[in-house]
Amino acid sequence: MPPKADPTKCDGCQGESEPLCEQVCPGNLMTLDKETRKAYCREPGDCWDCMTCTKACPRQAIQTTLQYQIAYFPGKLIPLVGTNSVTWTSIDCHGRVERFVMKTLVSPDDEDED
Amino acid sequence: MAERVYIDADVLILGGGTAGCMAAWEARRTGGEDLKIVIVEKAFIRHSGCLSAGMNALNMYINQGKPEDYVSYARYDMCGAPIREDIMLSVANEVNDTVKIMEESGLPMKKKEDGRYLNRGKWNIEINGSLLKPITAAKAIEARAEIYNRVYITDLIVKDDACIGAVGFGVRDGKFYICRGKVTMLCAGGAAGLWRPNNHGDAHHRIWYFPFNAGSSYAMCKRAGAEMTTFEVRFVPVRTKDTYSPTGTLSIGMGAPMVNSLGQAFMKEDPHYVQWGGHTAPTPIRAYGFQRETIAHRGPVFMDTTKGDPAKVTGIKGQYLDMSPSLVLYWGCNDIDPSKEPVEIDGGDPNIVGAHAGMAGAWTRGTSRETTVGRLYVSGDALGGAPSRFISGSWTCGRITGRSMAQALKANSYDYADLEPALVDALEERTFGPLNNYLGRAKEGLWTDGTLMSGISPKQMEDRMQKIMEEYCGGRTRWYFISEPYLNIARRHIKRMRNDQLQYLCARDLHDLQLAWDVINRLDVCQLVVEHISFRKETRFPGYVLRTDYPEADPDYDCFINSKWDPETDEVVCFKVPYEQIVPGDRRKETI
Ligand SMILES: Cc1cc2nc3c(=O)[nH]c(=O)nc-3n(C[C@H](O)[C@H](O)[C@H](O)COP(=O)(O)OP(=O)(O)OC[C@H]3O[C@@H](n4cnc5c(N)ncnc54)[C@H](O)[C@@H]3O)c2cc1C
Ligand code: SF4
Ligand code: SF4
Repeated sequence: MPPKADPTKCDGCQGESEPLCEQVCPGNLMTLDKETRKAYCREPGDCWDCMTCTKACPRQAIQTTLQYQIAYFPGKLIPLVGTNSVTWTSIDCHGRVERFVMKTLVSPDDEDED
Repeated sequence: MAERVYIDADVLILGGGTAGCMAAWEARRTGGEDLKIVIVEKAFIRHSGCLSAGMNALNMYINQGKPEDYVSYARYDMCGAPIREDIMLSVANEVNDTVKIMEESGLPMKKKEDGRYLNRGKWNIEINGSLLKPITAAKAIEARAEIYNRVYITDLIVKDDACIGAVGFGVRDGKFYICRGKVTMLCAGGAAGLWRPNNHGDAHHRIWYFPFNAGSSYAMCKRAGAEMTTFEVRFVPVRTKDTYSPTGTLSIGMGAPMVNSLGQAFMKEDPHYVQWGGHTAPTPIRAYGFQRETIAHRGPVFMDTTKGDPAKVTGIKGQYLDMSPSLVLYWGCNDIDPSKEPVEIDGGDPNIVGAHAGMAGAWTRGTSRETTVGRLYVSGDALGGAPSRFISGSWTCGRITGRSMAQALKANSYDYADLEPALVDALEERTFGPLNNYLGRAKEGLWTDGTLMSGISPKQMEDRMQKIMEEYCGGRTRWYFISEPYLNIARRHIKRMRNDQLQYLCARDLHDLQLAWDVINRLDVCQLVVEHISFRKETRFPGYVLRTDYPEADPDYDCFINSKWDPETDEVVCFKVPYEQIVPGDRRKETI
């Protein structure tokens, strides 16, 4: 699911020395459009769907949908990254919503939780 | 001429992945405060390599028994084939320590009520591994390794049979990087993308292996004159259809067996597979089971998740979100409820890996991790002959390499070698070759669509290579079948591409230059694969390579196949290397 960036949300990471999505992509795929200064994936077919860019975007501008050749429209998966966890919202093609909270790092208060 | 950056390091690490980061950490521990450790990485170290999407399990952990039992398992899982038991044992001895180190570094481990790690099957443990890569990279940062991100390494520098450094280009800055190492470690992963992927267009990279590891490790070792091993053992993934997510999550999490369209759990029921070990048969045999059932018109093949506890589906989705998030959306957008209908599986394009269920890579001396080229070390997927190390084993193998390099520095008086200016100029010309080629050929004219009239793009060359490998070297659409007449055609075309066609390869920009080097390296790996498969005139790993002209295993090939490339003749010369059994017992059985 090659990432798609929403032009109303992406601000090109103004103020950062390098846009965050561009900095993190393991395949060097995210880049800024020279004119609009908004991010896009330069070669959708080369994307591994690792979602690193989607998780890294500070403005939640990047959206994950599946390639139409493998799944029906619409539907999306949205990660919201917290300090020690990520909250995933999956909206399937019928609009059904599922939410998952996954731990990502051991946090200092883990002891109490367990 | 590009601007030049000179880097000197006591320990030069090429590829800041699973193995590379832990090598830096251990080199610091062994080598002391003054050691200068450098990592050169083509992407951004916190999010690069196989771990970039996260993972939900560590597949190597000694939950039970002794390290020797793991070696016996790894051997069994390769159909009793020769493996480097010395190397495997060295990893198995330390893997549990490594996992503890990573837990202390913040990796969330799932635990059972008794406080022990939650196991999945015999040798796996479950984790919340969404941040595996940042946690791994933090170990390299903790070790104060000097890190150069976005530098693509193109070649090693070899002098008098020893590696003295490497060169590459800045993917962002376009500079020429000249690195000297007293010792050098190459750990740039395995090779994806030699064969055609199942999906096309915007899903071209919906493949199992990390597509941005394009065989740099193997190609650079080969070109440096290192002895290579086992390139005939390619890994054929059988995974959830279209998304290539692991099936272990389902087989163990939902108690789901593989079934054919008749509902038969064939691995367990058909004597043909039972003789190989049934549903826990070696990985190549399970891949073969999938293939044989489909070819016999008993497909599609599924993981039958419908008999499991429906309440577990949410937990399963969570596990997939930690490593393969697209599967959850895929189910949602294809109306799949795994508790109500079985999950279809499919075979993917073959991959060349050293640390997963394959064992291609550089041959190493004893347990030093030093290749046959002096002062050149390897680890992770780059190291050959030692399968089933996975993440935890690659961390551990990386640590052992780091330690071995630091010890070698103490024991020897290695120094930086002088680089002759003419050599550096030649390396620079080669590194930027496709970029300069573009500039030159652009003058000869562009078509109205902006493409070159007299040049070939990296994508076009990749397509050609994948077509050749797919059709003549047993791709997925050819059901992985191979025979000598097909190989002869593959050999001819791959040679032609390497020797005659690379002159047309053009890169428009620095991103394209990266793609150009990916295809140059892949073509080198293709040559190794074709020659190794051709040399092993038998079928030892049925699901990986089915030789229709030699369909049975032959005791004459109960050994390693190693090779060396001769730059004068451009031949890959293959030869047999005996196997040494260290862990006693029947090689076709697990000890526990
Ligand atoms: C899809 C998938 C699922 C897996 N699932 C599991 C699992 O559940 N459990 C498990 O234990 N194991 C699993 N594995 C196996 C495990 O991830 C690998 O065996 C291990 O990560 C390999 O480590 P490595 O250091 O060799 O490669 P990597 O970690 O990929 O490191 C290679 C590094 O080299 C860099 N690089 C590449 N080329 C160059 C170049 N030319 N110049 C500079 N840098 C370069 C890359 O960017 C990368 O950072 C899985 C692997 C895959 C692909
Ligand atoms: S990280 Fe987000 S806001 Fe920044 S450039 Fe990328 S898409 Fe735009
Ligand atoms: S999903 Fe991964 S591979 Fe694809 S563009 Fe984003 S960071 Fe790059």
